[in-house]
Amino acid sequence: MPHTEIVTGVLLDEVALDLDELAQACSVDALWIVERIEAGLLCEVTQPQRFSSAELLRARRLLAIERDFDANPELAALVVDLIEEVGRLKARLRKAGIDEK
Amino acid sequence: MEFKDYYQVLGLDKSASEDEIKKSYRKLARKYHPDVSKEADAELRMKEVNEAYAVLGDLEKRAAYDQLGGGYRDGQQFQPPPNWDAGFEFSGADFSGADMGDFSDFFANLFGHAAAGRAGRGGRAGPRPRRGEDHHAKIVIDLRDAYQGAPRTITLRGARADAQGRVSMQEHNLTVQIPKGVKEGQHIRLAGQGSPGSDGSAAGDLFLEVHFKQDPHYRVDGRDVYETLPVTPWEAALGASIEAPTPSGKVQVKIPANSQGGRKLRLKGRGIPGEPAGDLYLLLEIVLPPADSEKARQLYEMMAREMAFNPRLAMGV
Repeated sequence: MPHTEIVTGVLLDEVALDLDELAQACSVDALWIVERIEAGLLCEVTQPQRFSSAELLRARRLLAIERDFDANPELAALVVDLIEEVGRLKARLRKAGIDEK
Repeated sequence: MEFKDYYQVLGLDKSASEDEIKKSYRKLARKYHPDVSKEADAELRMKEVNEAYAVLGDLEKRAAYDQLGGGYRDGQQFQPPPNWDAGFEFSGADFSGADMGDFSDFFANLFGHAAAGRAGRGGRAGPRPRRGEDHHAKIVIDLRDAYQGAPRTITLRGARADAQGRVSMQEHNLTVQIPKGVKEGQHIRLAGQGSPGSDGSAAGDLFLEVHFKQDPHYRVDGRDVYETLPVTPWEAALGASIEAPTPSGKVQVKIPANSQGGRKLRLKGRGIPGEPAGDLYLLLEIVLPPADSEKARQLYEMMAREMAFNPRLAMGV
């Protein structure tokens, strides 16, 4: 029976990403990230040192909306805000045992 | 491999203008956006739409594709002639190696080199990173895996070049140790499991976004877990010590006397492990035995006579 190597990773929120790692994970230049941080579109603080799972997911969503719809960053952020809010409401429904569909 | 009719994917004919291609792409991108779409196969369709647009939305690739595939139908067996792309210059397409895992063998075979040769996105200036690109995938696990940690095997697709430089999509399995205490939406970062680096530089990483399989018994909020626990009327009224299933195994639970339906019992630290561990909440659901026998009916009738109980008293009736 072939030996199966088990790959062990790290949980992102225990070891958060720095700016360059976040940029690499999104396949963008660090400047793209910095511009959205400075505009308050990516996270609440304006000078974050590290980035968690939530910021990685938000950055990738921003990028997809900007790219797919040629949206400006503010509009993309508004769409992502709404997506996140829908996600929170769906989570509350699930927690209450209500089928979201 | 099978020919892909990208015009058909975008619902267009071959004479479509650039503007029509963009409009159709946006319309479908909205329809199948994985965060909002209610279509069952939204994720798959979105990948097809992205792939079609990666080609038709790029002038050079579209020209090469049109020249190559003029006489082919969707799904027809297809092999590109040698040096089919001579004379075309692929550059500036808005996809990266990270997207390649989502694309078909057909795409990888035709355009894989164009993706492999570039990094960065969005037309920003800056040096191209030589490190391999990071990849992203989702993994759906059982809640129990988050309690105990467990190895789970996932199948990934990626573009690989053979000795002759031909690029194709290949599947490979990866067995990943799910860390104990992982939460919904959290990422597991697997170093070196992304694209290979160029010129001997480091490979990219693989980010796995964790999701929990829907479970009929448990609901999760962060590290807290919610479970509906059915109890009998006498267990709720008189109090009882009963056995309850939990994601970490069976536990004995003390039901306080005079408990009403919907009462929430907290089992501290029995949610998803971590620092701090989550809690497990048991929501009591009182289940009435059916009055489907003479004996059961007599017992209900006796309660009605003897208990003088009006649950609508507070409503004024």
